[in-house]
Amino acid sequence: MVPGAGDDVGDAMVEPPSRRRFLTNIWAGLGVVALLQFLAGAAFFLTSGRKRTGKKSAPLLEAGLVGDFPTGSVTLIRKGNLYLTRLEDGGFLAISKKCTHLGCAVPWMAERKQFECPCHASIFDITGDVIKAPAPRALDLYPVTINRDMITIDTSNPLRRSGFTPEQVIYPEERG
Amino acid sequence: MSSSLFLHFRPRRVPKDALRFTLTWGLGGMAALMIVQQLLTGLLLGFFYEPVPVRAYESVQHIQNSIFLGDLVRSMHHWTGHFLVVVIALHLLRIFFNGAFYPPRRRNWLVGLAMGVLILTANFSGYLLPWDQLSYWAVTIATSMLSYVPLIGSSLQEIMRGGPEVGAATLQLFYSIHTTFVPVSLFLLMGYHFWFVRKAGGILVPKRKQSGETEKSTSVPAIPELLVREMAFAALVTCCILLFSMFIDAPLGNMANPELTPPTVKAPWYFLGAQELLLHVPPIFAICFLPLSIGLFLTLLPFTRQKDGKPTTLIKTLFITGALFMLILTITGIWFRGQGMTLVMPW
Ligand code: FES
Repeated sequence: MVPGAGDDVGDAMVEPPSRRRFLTNIWAGLGVVALLQFLAGAAFFLTSGRKRTGKKSAPLLEAGLVGDFPTGSVTLIRKGNLYLTRLEDGGFLAISKKCTHLGCAVPWMAERKQFECPCHASIFDITGDVIKAPAPRALDLYPVTINRDMITIDTSNPLRRSGFTPEQVIYPEERG
Repeated sequence: MSSSLFLHFRPRRVPKDALRFTLTWGLGGMAALMIVQQLLTGLLLGFFYEPVPVRAYESVQHIQNSIFLGDLVRSMHHWTGHFLVVVIALHLLRIFFNGAFYPPRRRNWLVGLAMGVLILTANFSGYLLPWDQLSYWAVTIATSMLSYVPLIGSSLQEIMRGGPEVGAATLQLFYSIHTTFVPVSLFLLMGYHFWFVRKAGGILVPKRKQSGETEKSTSVPAIPELLVREMAFAALVTCCILLFSMFIDAPLGNMANPELTPPTVKAPWYFLGAQELLLHVPPIFAICFLPLSIGLFLTLLPFTRQKDGKPTTLIKTLFITGALFMLILTITGIWFRGQGMTLVMPW
């Protein structure tokens, strides 16, 4: 007995025999499996190739000695594409150059003491906090460590923040 | 032999009414012609272009300045790429107002939408290739818009860029999409698109007011009636593109510099509507809700109820308002936004 033999005889005449239908379904199923395999393979192929290029060569950046940076100043650190801000009270912030709106590079306007984005006119203050929208949040920060007066910036992953809080500022150790 | 090739794409006889220029405005044919031209000019450019940062810019400079006809070929490729986006937008409008997307043409409308997405992809991926300041920052801005997509935004952006920033990986990715993925898929779909027009019984000819006459009596042979018209029109369009590209060079700014954003930089013009909207409404709306609803609306369009083969008044009103809205936003973004996105007059 072939499966489906209980069908109406008239139908069986018009429709292809059930064995052929069964084989066709197997072919179609195999095709879908092959397609899925290709897609999965392609996805892994593409993502694994990416990791190698994603790593930055030197995530730890030595910016300089504490004494090199006057208070109330903003210095462009070319290598990391970021700014090192020294606030009036002597604390440090490493601020990303990338506008949080749509990613343009934000220049520091020394005469007006603020960051002004050329793309859609967002303005940030010396701590990177938003003065004028459309930027949705303050400029990203990089972790700063100060060890024996040497300032090191970890450029591997920028920290998102909504605004400026005093805890973000890093102070050099008091000299005994 | 060439005539039998022609007859693979076209029926032997066509209704006389289908030849009326104002029925189609030649838009679909124009798009096909432009795609073929893009393939040819792109092929030529590909012989000299190098898809690595710095070398990319230098090779484009080389094409532009020291290769015979290099600037013309590059300008043609550049301008046709932009015209093509406009032409397919108009083609879509034409199909909409003729109601030529209902069954049996429903599937072809969907194929057409896919081709539209591919053409935008082609234009956008080509944007980065010259590696000048404009391409670098326009692509930075456009891919940054992705980061506003909730939850998956930043990973989407990283996939698009091939890394955290626009760089060598992005260029390579965009290059292979631009020169392999898009042309191959576009050509496959184009064959399907043309074949389907025939399968649906030719282009949609609106019924005459007095529908007494039979179609057969008013049909004419496709060769020469249709062929000659198509050839003449193709020649005219080609002339216009050539003249335009001879007189207006494709721009090439300074080499891309990731440290310095030039003062007036904008996303590619077809994204300026979304970018303009981004200034006025929450990002989720501009980046997520808007494109999704446009896509959904256009996809579901051929499944809506029709009235005498035309969309209902509600659908028409929705479509026209949406299209006008996007048009106004885009025009504002292109011509009325100056440095720092302040409103300026274009004159
Ligand atoms: S990118 Fe800075 S304001 Fe838009």
